[in-house]
Amino acid sequence: MTLKIRFAFCLLLLCQIISAQNDSIMKLKEVVVSDNNLNKYSNSQSVLKLGDSIINKNEALLTDLLNFNSTLYFKEYGRGMLSTVSFRGTTSSQTAVIWNGININSQMNGSTDFNTISGSDYNSVSVKAGGGSVIYGSGAIGGTVHLNNDLDFYNRFENNLKLDYGSFNTIGVNYKTNISNKKWSAQIGFSNNSSTNDYKYVKKYTWKGEQRWNRNGEYNIFTMSANLGYKLNTKNTLKLYSQTSNTDRNTSLITETETPSKYINGFNRNLLEYDGNFGRFTANFKTAYIFENYQYYADNATNNYTYGKTESLITKADFGYTLFKSTQINGILDYNKTTGTGSGFGTNTREISSASLLVKQDISANWKNEFGVRKEFTDNYKSPILFSLGSSHQFGKLYNLKLNVSRNFRIPTFNDLYWETGGNRDLKPESSYQAEVGNVFTFSNITLTQTFYYIKIKDLLQWVPGKNGIWTPQNTDKVNSYGAETLLGWRKQFGKNIFAVNATYAHTISENIDTKKQLFFVPFDKATASVSYSRNKISTYYQFLHNGFVYTRADNDPDEIIKDYMISNIGADYDFKFLDSFKLGFQVLNLFNEAYESLENRPMPGRNFNMYLILKF
Amino acid sequence: MKFSKLFLIALSASIFVSCSSDDEDSNEPQGVYDNGVFILNEGSSDQGTVSFLSEDFSVFTKDVYTAANGDDLLGKYAQNIFFYGDNAYIIAGGSDVINVVNRYTFKLVDKISTGLKTPRYGVVKDGKAYVTNANTYSYINPATGNTDDYVAIINLKTNKYESKIDLNATANRLVEENGKLYITEPYDNTKLLVVNIATKKLETSIEIGSYADSIEEEDGVLYILRAPYGDRSEIVKVKLSNKSISKITFPETLDRAGYMDIEDNKIYYTSGSSVYVINTNATAASTTPIVTSPASNVYGFAVNDNRIYIADGVYTQDGAAYIYDLSGNLLKEVTSGVGTNGFYFND
Repeated sequence: MTLKIRFAFCLLLLCQIISAQNDSIMKLKEVVVSDNNLNKYSNSQSVLKLGDSIINKNEALLTDLLNFNSTLYFKEYGRGMLSTVSFRGTTSSQTAVIWNGININSQMNGSTDFNTISGSDYNSVSVKAGGGSVIYGSGAIGGTVHLNNDLDFYNRFENNLKLDYGSFNTIGVNYKTNISNKKWSAQIGFSNNSSTNDYKYVKKYTWKGEQRWNRNGEYNIFTMSANLGYKLNTKNTLKLYSQTSNTDRNTSLITETETPSKYINGFNRNLLEYDGNFGRFTANFKTAYIFENYQYYADNATNNYTYGKTESLITKADFGYTLFKSTQINGILDYNKTTGTGSGFGTNTREISSASLLVKQDISANWKNEFGVRKEFTDNYKSPILFSLGSSHQFGKLYNLKLNVSRNFRIPTFNDLYWETGGNRDLKPESSYQAEVGNVFTFSNITLTQTFYYIKIKDLLQWVPGKNGIWTPQNTDKVNSYGAETLLGWRKQFGKNIFAVNATYAHTISENIDTKKQLFFVPFDKATASVSYSRNKISTYYQFLHNGFVYTRADNDPDEIIKDYMISNIGADYDFKFLDSFKLGFQVLNLFNEAYESLENRPMPGRNFNMYLILKF
Repeated sequence: MKFSKLFLIALSASIFVSCSSDDEDSNEPQGVYDNGVFILNEGSSDQGTVSFLSEDFSVFTKDVYTAANGDDLLGKYAQNIFFYGDNAYIIAGGSDVINVVNRYTFKLVDKISTGLKTPRYGVVKDGKAYVTNANTYSYINPATGNTDDYVAIINLKTNKYESKIDLNATANRLVEENGKLYITEPYDNTKLLVVNIATKKLETSIEIGSYADSIEEEDGVLYILRAPYGDRSEIVKVKLSNKSISKITFPETLDRAGYMDIEDNKIYYTSGSSVYVINTNATAASTTPIVTSPASNVYGFAVNDNRIYIADGVYTQDGAAYIYDLSGNLLKEVTSGVGTNGFYFND
């Protein structure tokens, strides 16, 4: 029991992954993490891990989870609609989303829509700030978001069911079962999140005085996952991760007279992984098949659509060797073949191979260094040599200093290269140099992480009007992005009363080097905070989000901005203690009924409500 | 993905301007926005806007629609304005709507939202508006995208859609003369469409060649500017009495000519950022510019009352409008909105 509580606390705290903590958990319960390198090679960077209990307190879709709990900034085309990210002042395709160690950003547009992902499909969602292209490849410039399914190898049979019902007919059904023993582990689940999403626009009326509301905003997101692990013996493990998802969304109207359209997209991901552990020598093989597709219906009423789909085959071999007790090296070979077909870009195939070398040196328990280098080989573009160099030094119990320097990149997408007409086959990848200094202070129950970073990005891909007015992508801009991130975690128990506070704050300058203007849709400031209090079976919490204003245009026209906004949520739940857990909860979202939008003329909902039931048995 | 799509739409929406200056000159101002020019800004990801510049340049308002109507949204891809009585009709093609405003106060009077599907340009005849509609595009609807365009007929007394005339082709700009509509479309149509308003029927089309866009009527002759890729631009003249065609072919230096307007028996046309002029009875093009503007993307053009108006259409930030006299002296430059594409004179 106490073990469980400790485990829960650890998740509750939006803490750094501190390896000491992890180790203790792993010894107690054997958990096979899906992405070894995330733990192994991130000592010199900051990783924010959001576990079950945090995921459960947020709305189902990933945008909300990350918006309220991390420094990531989101631009949403209305609630539940397309949602793109900006991390450390970078563009939406400069944050890589990693599913169990595999980069899943769209091959077509380079980014991930965070409203097509439901957080509860994963055991944890981790946000790693800073460059990661050496390990994760294209797009890991601002940072990476990791969706992890960890497999447990101990005897258990556990079912989790979460049911949500909220305003605008928002219904969530999330089910997960874990069946495992010392040899086998299975995690099977599905989630379905839907909403008629017909919320009223706060204080907005048509010219005739009628209340305006979100028309054509319906969405439905279905995801099914099955993850299996089998331990052949102590040395050999096989894992299979599989996930299928379909998002069917109408696209909400800006004005009442527009033609309603809809967008359907989906994916299918399969990953077969072998882990071999032979003392000093380790081997990890991955083969993944990833399929993504979309269909866009410009007019709901007709059956005409434009579409795009890609299929990727990814194979990876990762050999690890412990040179000395303190020094480990990993050599990784990677081959990736993607074929894309679409009404906008015909059929094209691209092949990319890469080789990388990672070295980790633990000089002592307090001083850890890491180094990585990667080179890609492809016919499509010239690829720079990527590297990463980091060090983490713990001074006493109080202070941990982290340093990291890296070179990262983002490759051109299928749209950039092949779009008809305008696609440009003569593009360079966007590339960046980045340096950061992290200070982690830990005293009693407080963890304070402050990171200062500087990113220099060149060859930024922009679609610009070319000859004859045809838009075409060019490697135009250079950007300097720099700023500071602060993460704060505090947890204290007084008898049966448990308090926890978590906060994040990011100050970001992201400046076009030539024009000296802030990139549009990058806020100078973003802050989040959450406070929770629990006692016995009752738990209450408050969440806060402040997004500073953003410019909507490259020239920083002061009249063309999205105003800053502050959103608060409160919630409470009670555990009736039937079964293992029987929690009934209630939330008020946007408590103060703030009228806000994150994109011009895309109002977000006012005060709304959600009820949830979480069963564990 | 989404962006590329927007670009494509922006691209297909990237056409021109027709000016209407037929109203009687009564110099008594009837409202804030009398005696001046409305500058239409298409918008891009955001809504279109309308700027106003008074004739004496003393008043400039960047966004008159919002100034008059507060929160109300004008719509996406503002394409064209036409006038009738005391009203101005602003066509927002991306939102399938025509905003009806008082032309002197710009206060919203009505919104026409039925019967429209990607509306483009409108003309008025006998209390009815005739508005071309691009309907679906072939990249979305390959089967009928290029044959489903139509003219919507709107009763301007009730501001209600009445009926439509199918065109079985693509349609964009139009003029009305003697009860007939003459319609051009540059990309997917090589013919001049002729519609008889009385019978609401399509008459025999006239082959004029591809990339035909700006169209003007003067003294029984249609003047059409066409500018094919990789071939010489030309002005096609169609004599309405016998449908006979004659041409003024431009030299190669004027390839990709942009816009044309006719004023006082002179044809003004643009190529690149320059403006040229010839007489309506000329047989050859002029290659001597009368104006060379700083506009990087001439996206709208008009000549009115001895002034030349040039729109610099910028898609990512505010564009500009340049106003010259006929000798090429810059009289005024204003910062307009995104995608500035046309001038409409409220005399």
